[in-house]
Amino acid sequence: MNHFPESWGRPRDDIYGTYNPAYLQSTGPKAHTQSPAVTGTSVIAVKFNGGVAIAADNLASYGSLARFTDVKRLRKFSDTAVVGFSGDVSDMQYMDRLLESIDIRENYSTHGNMLNAKNLHTYLSKVLYKRRSEFNPLWNHILVVGFDGDKKPFLSSADLLGTTYSAPHLATGFGAHLAVPILRRLFPEDRPTEDITKEDAVKALRECLKVLWYRDARSLDKYSLAIITEEGVEIKEDQRLENQSWAFAETIRGYGAQVV
Amino acid sequence: MDKLIAQYTRSSHQNEFYSEQEQHDLTESHPPLSLKFSLPPIDDSRAFLRAMTDDHSNPSCPIKLAHGTTTLAFRFQGGIIVATDSRATAGNWIASQTVKKVIPVSRLSRGEDKPTDAPTPGLLGTMAGGAADCQYWLRYLSQQCTLHEIRHKRRITVAAASKILANLTYGYKGYGLSMGTMLAGMTPQEGPALYYIDSDGTRLPGNLFCVGSGQTFAYGVLDANYRYDLSEEEALELGRRSILAAMHRDAYSGGFINLYHVKEEGWVHHGFNDMNPIFWKTKLEKGEFSNVTSEL
Amino acid sequence: MTSLVNQQPHSEAIGYSFSQSTHAPNKQHSFYPYTDNGGSTLGITGADFAILAGDTRSVAGYNINSRYAPKVFKIGGDDETGEGAHILLSVVGFAADGHALKERLDAVVKMYKYQHGKPMSVRACAQRLSTILYQKRFFPYYVHAILAGLDEEGTGALYSYDPVGSYEREQCRAAGSAASLIMPFLDNQVNFKNQYIPGSGEGHALEPKKAGPLPRSTVEQLVRDAFTSAVERHIEVGDGLQMMVITANGIEEIYTPLKQD
Repeated sequence: MNHFPESWGRPRDDIYGTYNPAYLQSTGPKAHTQSPAVTGTSVIAVKFNGGVAIAADNLASYGSLARFTDVKRLRKFSDTAVVGFSGDVSDMQYMDRLLESIDIRENYSTHGNMLNAKNLHTYLSKVLYKRRSEFNPLWNHILVVGFDGDKKPFLSSADLLGTTYSAPHLATGFGAHLAVPILRRLFPEDRPTEDITKEDAVKALRECLKVLWYRDARSLDKYSLAIITEEGVEIKEDQRLENQSWAFAETIRGYGAQVV
Repeated sequence: MDKLIAQYTRSSHQNEFYSEQEQHDLTESHPPLSLKFSLPPIDDSRAFLRAMTDDHSNPSCPIKLAHGTTTLAFRFQGGIIVATDSRATAGNWIASQTVKKVIPVSRLSRGEDKPTDAPTPGLLGTMAGGAADCQYWLRYLSQQCTLHEIRHKRRITVAAASKILANLTYGYKGYGLSMGTMLAGMTPQEGPALYYIDSDGTRLPGNLFCVGSGQTFAYGVLDANYRYDLSEEEALELGRRSILAAMHRDAYSGGFINLYHVKEEGWVHHGFNDMNPIFWKTKLEKGEFSNVTSEL
Repeated sequence: MTSLVNQQPHSEAIGYSFSQSTHAPNKQHSFYPYTDNGGSTLGITGADFAILAGDTRSVAGYNINSRYAPKVFKIGGDDETGEGAHILLSVVGFAADGHALKERLDAVVKMYKYQHGKPMSVRACAQRLSTILYQKRFFPYYVHAILAGLDEEGTGALYSYDPVGSYEREQCRAAGSAASLIMPFLDNQVNFKNQYIPGSGEGHALEPKKAGPLPRSTVEQLVRDAFTSAVERHIEVGDGLQMMVITANGIEEIYTPLKQD
């Protein structure tokens, strides 16, 4: 009780120490518990009639250095799902080991591995949420593709905070800015995914990767592409971007707005 | 050998799921009020909590908690009057205008929740500061009081009940709780008893308390007109008028006037009334609040 | 002794951080565990029903994550369809916390049914949700929750919560980023605040209009109006409106598109 009415009942400096906004990270550089070191950039995915297509380039960057140019960021899980990872590569490898152990455990069980992509997404998002609650996050943003329990194409995302969402097409990282608008234009969300053919979807992904390669400085022209349908998973890991045209680059001055 | 192997073998990954115990705790529907709280796993969890929730130090903090504001209680010859406003604010946003800031404590002898005109036995607690803190801990106190009643076959004294609460808040001192509460009750052992307990661990018996951001305005009216030998009618009017003064001058107070009278047999509710008509009645009929123009 | 010497002299006995400096030292352990996924929710009750609604946009900063991410959930129903549920929960704020909270309450309500052989009442569920939120008082769920159902008498019941579990039963409540746009509209249209009966008197003698339960059609239209208006003036609200109506006959879900800009 004191003579500052509006501060009544609020924490006092003599008990709690002065207010420390460092926890809010509103200004200044970000300093993280575990900052990502070697990172992968965007993962993009689209649903089509009877399946899902997903793609990611093969680069792992070390800051601005293009450090490893042959890193596969799409991971197959027991012929039923594919997980695409962006963010920290060491955490990706950790989750890879985790998935491996689940696969083994499930296969040794009496019923075999019955986990579908939806189950896998639920599990991984809970792992990510539990880790963020421990302040020890797995620094990844993942896309999980495959089929749900009703054999319908499934595509969903989960990030390092455990936030999940799904849409007919998704992209992580830089792709959320560059690829999603392209995909939304090509495949409007009110159009049913049954109208989209596999060929259209794959073509769109290649187009998006090309745009990312033009503009995302942490991307590569070598990429992996996975297509998951009723028949199974088809992963192509050594794809190269074709028909590149850098003609647009000649007209660019400065950051783009400059004319002379 | 096993030891040697164990030393150089490490699991490729840790157990990434909730333990049996954690899963049990998550789904348990039975013991709802406990003293088990999850803390953020960082060095200074208090500073973290404060950074997230102290909207006074940082008006743009992400999590804004509801705060309660003007409450008062005083003893007089006919018992105890308890009166509060009903506004809850989260930053500058009025989160609610209909908060019940008087919370009945000790449920066993209260019977059902049906409102009646007959006095209801039990204590009353008031709520100022963090709304959730007050609601949770007064409910916890109810549980303890009810247990006391079952164990000892008589109602708990206000002194004992207030001590349970004060020991609790003192135990959590520094964790960031924010509550200023008054416990009012009448027991055969004590007669009318009134205690003030806050989140610093303070516990004070007294005749008259005002708590909250509008306390100064309420004290102004209450102190000027307070006598121990007020009649019941006068006491109720004084409680109402003091809250009205606080609602008028304190931006964080407003809404409805919630009025209670604690008597020998229990407490009686004297309405949850909109302040606006009461304000105009006070002004136009009694000529008070002459600072406000009545012209339209 | 050194601690005594080094202590900062107190200018005031009690200090407050009135004006905080924005240039605080960067902390080592400063992973920021929250984000705001935007959106808004709204609940209104009537004599024999309760409506809980929310937009379906999910945002991260200026990006739209998804145009269909539901915020209203059925609690205590069977598996994924939510069949047989009799309680609704809406959560807005940090979606991952909201989801965790929903799953937890759902588990609790189911366990209650198995252990007690009867469905949990809305009143009990409301109290339980409050304690669940308060268990995380020191590391809060960053969500504003609203719970809806039918009470013992069959009238619509709506409970609203702050992030750490203070709660209250109300006639109507808006939460989330557009709460400050929708709530004043609701005060006026549901609780008839500042509405007076025409011709009932002059000046201060004007009688205020009495609020009472509204019919379902009116309430549904109010919800639609609240959201279409919020969409016009808030960037985080849009795409779709998910409405859940709970009556004695069960839960009905209505989806209507909103503007996608």
